Amino acid sequence: MMHCTMDDLLALRAGEGSAWARQHAAGCAACRAELEALYQRVAQLKALPARRPARDRWPAVRDGALAERRRRRGRWGVSGLAAAAALAGLLVFRPFWTKPVDAAELARVKQQSATLEQQLQRYDPDGRVTSGRSAALAAALEDRIAVIDGELAQLGPSRAQARPADLVTLWQQRVELMEQLMSVHVTRAAYVGL
Amino acid sequence: MTISLAVPDILVARAKSGDLEALEALYRAFETPVYNLALRVLRRPEDAEDVLQETFLEVVRSIKQYRGEGHLWGWIRQIATSKALMRIRHDRVRETEELHEESVAGAGAGAGDIAGVGVIGASAGMSPGSVPAQIDLERAFERLSETSRAVVWLHDVEGYTHEEIAEQMGKTVSFSKSQLARAHVRLRRMLDEGVSQ
Repeated sequence: MMHCTMDDLLALRAGEGSAWARQHAAGCAACRAELEALYQRVAQLKALPARRPARDRWPAVRDGALAERRRRRGRWGVSGLAAAAALAGLLVFRPFWTKPVDAAELARVKQQSATLEQQLQRYDPDGRVTSGRSAALAAALEDRIAVIDGELAQLGPSRAQARPADLVTLWQQRVELMEQLMSVHVTRAAYVGL
Repeated sequence: MTISLAVPDILVARAKSGDLEALEALYRAFETPVYNLALRVLRRPEDAEDVLQETFLEVVRSIKQYRGEGHLWGWIRQIATSKALMRIRHDRVRETEELHEESVAGAGAGAGDIAGVGVIGASAGMSPGSVPAQIDLERAFERLSETSRAVVWLHDVEGYTHEEIAEQMGKTVSFSKSQLARAHVRLRRMLDEGVSQ
């Protein structure tokens, strides 16, 4: 007599059994018992006791998290440098622009951004406990700053046709976001507008 | 194994900002399920601990990419599964175990034989409905090959579909299905005959 194979039983358990398997299992006590044993095995696997690691791996993960943080800050620095280089390149290629660059304004916002960056690092927000709301706001602001850094980094000399007004606007936006980030970290302001 | 895996959104938000206390709280919340998943698949506690560490290093790196779609455990479990399977693929290939698996399973899942284990009751005088003690099942499960353990654990315990397992393992759906069937045939046989034999 042909009985269900394990494939048939697994398919039946998944509700995908063939017509033959369903019909056979309905009339075959042996196959029904085998199917029940399959259910029980799986239930027992699910009920196996939980084991705990012998060693605490959190210190290693924490060290990794701190290393990642240092790397990220370094990347921010690199992005800032790249943005500054892009700005210098644009200033050099100024003759290609259709209208004069307000170099003073660019220098001013760039300096402002650098100052805020230094202040933020001195404050060391990562070493402080913040509320969940502040943390979420800070994360959102950092994401937006990273996007602007990416855009600034792309405005190199090879893309000198970029409108200088856009560049100034990007730097201004960066300064505004940095100010908001400082505000979140230092004063925990709840009215950043996000 | 019943563990509460719910974590407050506020904790996730803090972890996303890099708050170490929040990251540690997440680690403590998911340490046991991640370790257990890895241990069941890899068997060796040291390997499971390594996967635990690699998983949370990845969580720390990528937590900002988690957008709150689906349960956080599902997201972390995906990372842990990937790390464990990667370890199977690259770290160790236990050829002898695989060969043993092949020889034992053979055509066990073939047609005409109840679940590929012979006529019920004829092998060890045991009815198919009588499931041996849990410790025996655990030992039998540990004797499966890494690939079989991974498929059984991911499908039967973690609830992955064959499509998801196939994608994670870089194999076909039929590979996943056949691995599961063969693994159950072998489990059934070991439990019938006694794990120690």
